[in-house]
Amino acid sequence: MSDDYLTESELNAEDMNEYVSVRIGNQLFGAPVLEIREVFTPQSVTSVPMAPAEVAGLLNLRGRIVTAIDARRRLGLPPRDAGDKGMALGVERGSEIFGLIVDSVGEVLRRPSAELEPVPAHVDPNWRSMVKGVHRLDKELLAVLDVSAVLGLADTAKAA
Amino acid sequence: MDDLISEFLTETGESLEVIDSELVRFEKNPEDRAILDNIFRLLHTVKGTCGFLGLPRLEAVAHAGETLLGKFRDGDLTVTPPMVTLVLHAIDQIKVILEVIEETSAEPEGDDGELIKRLEDASMGRSPEGAEAAGKSKPAADVEAPVAEVPVDVPGDATADDLPEGFDADLGRDLRPGEVSLADLEAAFNDTPAEVEAPADESSEAATASDAPKLGIGDFDPILGRELRPGEVSAAELEAAFGSAEAEVDVENTGADLDVITADMTTEEALQIAVAELSGGDDSGAEAASGGVKVSKTVRVAVEVLETLMTTVSELVLTRNQLMQAARAAEDEELKGPLQRLSAVTGELQDGVMKTRMQPIGDAWRKLPRIIRDASHDLDKKIELEMEGSETELDRQVLELIKDPLTHMIRNSADHGLETPEIREAAGKGPKGTIKLKAYHEGGHIIIAISDDGAGLNTKRIGEKALEKGLTTHEELAQMTDGQIHRYIFAAGFSTAAKVTNLSGRGVGMDVVRTNIEQIGGIIDVSSSAGKGSTFTIKIPLTLAIVSALIVGCEDQRFAIPQLSVRELVRVGAGSEHAVESLNGSRIMRLRDQLMPLIDLHEALGIGEAKFQTADDTGFVIVLDAGGRNVGLVVDNVLDTEEIVVKPLSDSLRGASAYSGATILGDGSVLMILDPNGLAGDIVSAMEEDNEADRAHRRAAETNDTQRLLLVRAGGDSVKAVPLALVTRLEEFEVKNIEVTNGQHVVQYRGRLMPIIPLGTKIGANEGGRQPVLVFAEERTAMGLAVDDIVDVVEERVDLQMSSNNPGVIGSAVIKGDATDVMDIGWHLDQIQSGGVQRAAQAKRRNVLLVDADAFARRMIAPLLVAAGYDVTPTGGLHEVRAIADAGDNFDALVGDPAALEKIQSEGLWADVPTLAVTDWPDGNQSDNLTEIVPKSDRGALIAALDRVSQDEEEAA
Repeated sequence: MSDDYLTESELNAEDMNEYVSVRIGNQLFGAPVLEIREVFTPQSVTSVPMAPAEVAGLLNLRGRIVTAIDARRRLGLPPRDAGDKGMALGVERGSEIFGLIVDSVGEVLRRPSAELEPVPAHVDPNWRSMVKGVHRLDKELLAVLDVSAVLGLADTAKAA
Repeated sequence: MDDLISEFLTETGESLEVIDSELVRFEKNPEDRAILDNIFRLLHTVKGTCGFLGLPRLEAVAHAGETLLGKFRDGDLTVTPPMVTLVLHAIDQIKVILEVIEETSAEPEGDDGELIKRLEDASMGRSPEGAEAAGKSKPAADVEAPVAEVPVDVPGDATADDLPEGFDADLGRDLRPGEVSLADLEAAFNDTPAEVEAPADESSEAATASDAPKLGIGDFDPILGRELRPGEVSAAELEAAFGSAEAEVDVENTGADLDVITADMTTEEALQIAVAELSGGDDSGAEAASGGVKVSKTVRVAVEVLETLMTTVSELVLTRNQLMQAARAAEDEELKGPLQRLSAVTGELQDGVMKTRMQPIGDAWRKLPRIIRDASHDLDKKIELEMEGSETELDRQVLELIKDPLTHMIRNSADHGLETPEIREAAGKGPKGTIKLKAYHEGGHIIIAISDDGAGLNTKRIGEKALEKGLTTHEELAQMTDGQIHRYIFAAGFSTAAKVTNLSGRGVGMDVVRTNIEQIGGIIDVSSSAGKGSTFTIKIPLTLAIVSALIVGCEDQRFAIPQLSVRELVRVGAGSEHAVESLNGSRIMRLRDQLMPLIDLHEALGIGEAKFQTADDTGFVIVLDAGGRNVGLVVDNVLDTEEIVVKPLSDSLRGASAYSGATILGDGSVLMILDPNGLAGDIVSAMEEDNEADRAHRRAAETNDTQRLLLVRAGGDSVKAVPLALVTRLEEFEVKNIEVTNGQHVVQYRGRLMPIIPLGTKIGANEGGRQPVLVFAEERTAMGLAVDDIVDVVEERVDLQMSSNNPGVIGSAVIKGDATDVMDIGWHLDQIQSGGVQRAAQAKRRNVLLVDADAFARRMIAPLLVAAGYDVTPTGGLHEVRAIADAGDNFDALVGDPAALEKIQSEGLWADVPTLAVTDWPDGNQSDNLTEIVPKSDRGALIAALDRVSQDEEEAA
């Protein structure tokens, strides 16, 4: 990843989408900057037996309990190597904080919103439910995450 | 707008939102009973509340929807999308009506006949064809008509003429005969002062009149300290009215006038039954009217501020714990002092903040009188509601959570419990039934009892219903006691009401109540006797925010278990007398001659291998109180006790029933809190039948015929006995943690220093560096007695065979066939006075009633009296005493707190029985009414005095 993405266009800021770029497996994803509270390294995650598989556990973030959701599990990817903790995106929903565990976090990318393209129809439906669209970058595709959907909160978000 | 209505709107709005999303989920999983049950309960609550508030249109729609859902639940109908759509339409219609109510405080005119008919048709099994098409246009068409019809004026301005005849917007229902609408009343009231307002007297009264702000319903009145209710007038306005009408009003007259006004207003009966509230209002009104300016000693603080404060303090407590732990590890002497202070201050702060969260339970009772009133009207029953202990305080959060269950239970009592006047009179009772609501504190808990003097539970019908629902078999039923059968009313989907009424009777009642109460760690029970009535007892913790928890280890993980649900800890395996046995794969342990089912935490959570596969495996069994039953939980290790702040679980974890929350420990790690009821759910319901025997057994143990004794070794090989009732906990401390200050041994225990006194032994003599200690604790103080070894717990009738001149020993008794010294714990604890009791056991055991609000004092005195040969009935307060007096029990003497004894005498209970007051300050209490007063510290004198007075009594008799 380089600064190339940023220099490409200096359009009106309102037409630009900002993404925190993250890597999950081999795929580059973008999470809308406004939805991300912070990025942190998940430490001493308490695993929760009997919990749904995607719940990686609970952790303490400055005195608040954070529910860690493993993005790989949600996307149906194989688990990370043992010992690789990954990084976490802190997302606030209501009074709760969730930590979305990804492999690594890169820089912030700005892309014109007009360039967001729909997800191709033949992509796995599970992925499509969690990806809002795709940006074409020079070297690869940036899949834009629907953060609520990845956290498995789509229903509650609507009800709230 | 009426308090009740606005509260109803908020609650119902929330419920409907949930119903909406749940219905959608249900459509996808028609097999999921839990979702359906949830929807059904919510709708049932909505319907029930509508009925009480006099919203017939809403009620009809909700009722029809519920009936249809009921068919799904009973399996009479299969769930199809058109059906669900139909129910959703009903929900939409309810929302539409609610919106109008929110704007106008009144239900819109209109007819839901068509929708209801379609719902009914669907219930009858006719397919709701075209429901979708018709349904969509329907609610919309309905809204327009009502909005046009109902005036959108605020209640105060609405004149009665605008409304349909007899309909009162403030009440939200039609006027009953003899009632006057609020608007009329207010108009009349407003007119009166206007006629006399002319005098341009510059007196202070006149000034007040013009200054007095005009307050409307719902406005905040600074004098009353709360918002005005419909029908009430602000004190300032009252004062102004009196001031301008008559300049020289004396206080007495004002009082009288006030009464008259209240009497007038009572036509709007519904509110006035809130007796306590009203009399409070009158008092302050009269005071204000007499010209006294009251300086307020209270400040109103927004609830959010308190919540934030509570969270902050919770964090502070956690940080304190972290610091303490770090300091202990670092062993830095310099830090010790300041840290102790920090710890103490934090504790005080925590107590203080907790106090601000406390609210009188009366707040939760406020809407009950109206509900009872309307219920008596609807049911044609005469019902009196008595409320006692409404000032009893408990945590806000708990209060919110028990509101609904309480309302439900009161409705049940009115509907099912009490009989109609005719039946009552035929049964020889007064025509008026009484529902009694009572609340009081008992050791960290609050007890709420709801009793009625109705017909009692119908054991036969409940039994039949249980059979019908497949909950039991004929053989089992025949074996059951009444109490066991009664408890079936808490089973899901159980209702015995012959006909489904608007009030209750769909079988979603008591199981919801039980679920709600258990969710906050409470217990509910029922006792009933045919023809005399039923009593429901709820026991709930005072607060949920900070609880004491036991930290246990399982594999490489730690979990917290609330101490409230831990009954005892048992070490199992090699070298322990307890062993785990297995019956067809289910594990069982013998605990004091009873079989107790075991749950292995490894299996329950699916981590690691289950324990006790081999005979030499060791581990701990935690005896849990799960819904009133003993269930053993097998864990690897018991690590610590800690005060924890309970944090709610995220939605993604709600499905895991094994947990009730999560917490952050002092070291910063996150722990899951185990939920005993969730873990033991299945086992507990299966154990229902064993329960009664267990209770009877425990009751026998509590009647003081036998005493539970703890056998210990302390100084020498012989075994000594300590009454177990006195001991709060058994602990083991590491010898290196026991410090010496001022020549006294102390240990840090739960954030405080606890003194330890050796029981005829040397502290730290034990090998292995662990010191067993018996802990005697009350809320704020704790003391420890160090012993060499804890041997056993036995249950024996204590007959002191030999008295003892040895201080610290009450006497000797035969326990398990051996002569054993019974220790005088009181002597050891104060080490001030010798309690040498020079007496042998009585031939005839005499009855003593012990009254002392202080549980510690009670537990200190009761064993002493029992050991001296008396049968003791300990009571904590007057409500218990009255209950015993009602039961007609007789006593040879009353012992206890002087104030309580005088109160008993003034009520004329046991008038001829000698009274013996025990107090710390015998000189300060001179009373002619009490037979004798002895100092608390002098045990010998107490026994001697008791012997004397009960002897006199015998001779006199």
